[in-house]
Amino acid sequence: MMNRNRLIEVFISNLANAIIHQILEKAIDKQEIAGVYSKEVKNSWGIAKKYREKINPINRNLPEKDMVEIKKKVINKVRTELRLRIDKGYENINLSLVDEFVENALKKMEIV
Amino acid sequence: MEIIGKISKGSKMDQIYIPKNRAGFNNGEYVLISPFRGRIEKQFKPHFYNLNNLEPIKIKVIEDIFSLINKKTDVENIIITGSFLESGFGFNDIDILLINEKKININIIKEEIEKMTGIKTHIIFLNNKTLILGLSSDPLYNLMLSKCVSKNRLIFKIKRKINYKLLDLNLLKSKTLIDNFEILNGNEKYYLTLNMISILLFIQGKKLDKGIINKEIERVFNMKINELKNNLINKENFLKIYKEIFNKTFDLILDNIKGKNDE
Repeated sequence: MMNRNRLIEVFISNLANAIIHQILEKAIDKQEIAGVYSKEVKNSWGIAKKYREKINPINRNLPEKDMVEIKKKVINKVRTELRLRIDKGYENINLSLVDEFVENALKKMEIV
Repeated sequence: MEIIGKISKGSKMDQIYIPKNRAGFNNGEYVLISPFRGRIEKQFKPHFYNLNNLEPIKIKVIEDIFSLINKKTDVENIIITGSFLESGFGFNDIDILLINEKKININIIKEEIEKMTGIKTHIIFLNNKTLILGLSSDPLYNLMLSKCVSKNRLIFKIKRKINYKLLDLNLLKSKTLIDNFEILNGNEKYYLTLNMISILLFIQGKKLDKGIINKEIERVFNMKINELKNNLINKENFLKIYKEIFNKTFDLILDNIKGKNDE
């Protein structure tokens, strides 16, 4: 049984993964790829959702302190992963999408 | 069950060849041969790839699926792949690829197959261009088609073209194992490991099929595939090696992403 902090940690990691996937898909920008790999986003998204359902309060937004902390951590995680790639010469990654994607994802997960 | 065969001349005895993968006519059974007077129409014979001992009941299911799809739509090719073709009955679903230029409504076909077979069906629709792109650049496509049954013959002589961005995207899902070790079941862990190892071997230019990858997993992690599938692995030892391989593969991808953005 995981404690609440560990649940939040794993939730953040999975949600970040789903968002990284979405942004990388946009960076590749090939129609054929978008269709085939969208299933993978759903996988990470699904796991994140499973964890969210275990974090209290389940049916309403998390307390302000958690909200701010989770949002900050997801953004940092996504940015760090994407920067790793940009530093190696990966072109076309749009970092300005990060905040918007994270905000939307957290809304869907009833975090904010 | 009936099979139409042709008598061919042998050195000491003449013979009739029948397909090795067939529903019925088991080895050792006695059969009656009688002349066929009707008109010979072209018999439908699926093409089997790397499948030597498929259970007769599965062959029957495959033939029924091909027949149902052929009645509904004239697709260029039908490919059956995935866990259904593994030995035994531990499969989760039937994976079907429908290859056609014009888009077709896969939902109706899916529903009818599920109704007919009682097995959950997963259909992916692709055109030829996407299939060739997948085979040339995606290890999972290679793996998927290393063992399959198809309506028409498949041509596998496709030059491998490494798209590191695509591999990066593919590898990302294997990262989930590191954080989610506790909640993933054995089969999920196996799939994510298989994905990672197939990407590594793909980059290294090695041949991909499930047998090769399974052997590589057993070698690298020093365990049996069944231990992994049955979730009987030591977390600490496993994750230590897993992280090493993941990082090695990720570094290989990142080192090559530079200058290869538009492949």
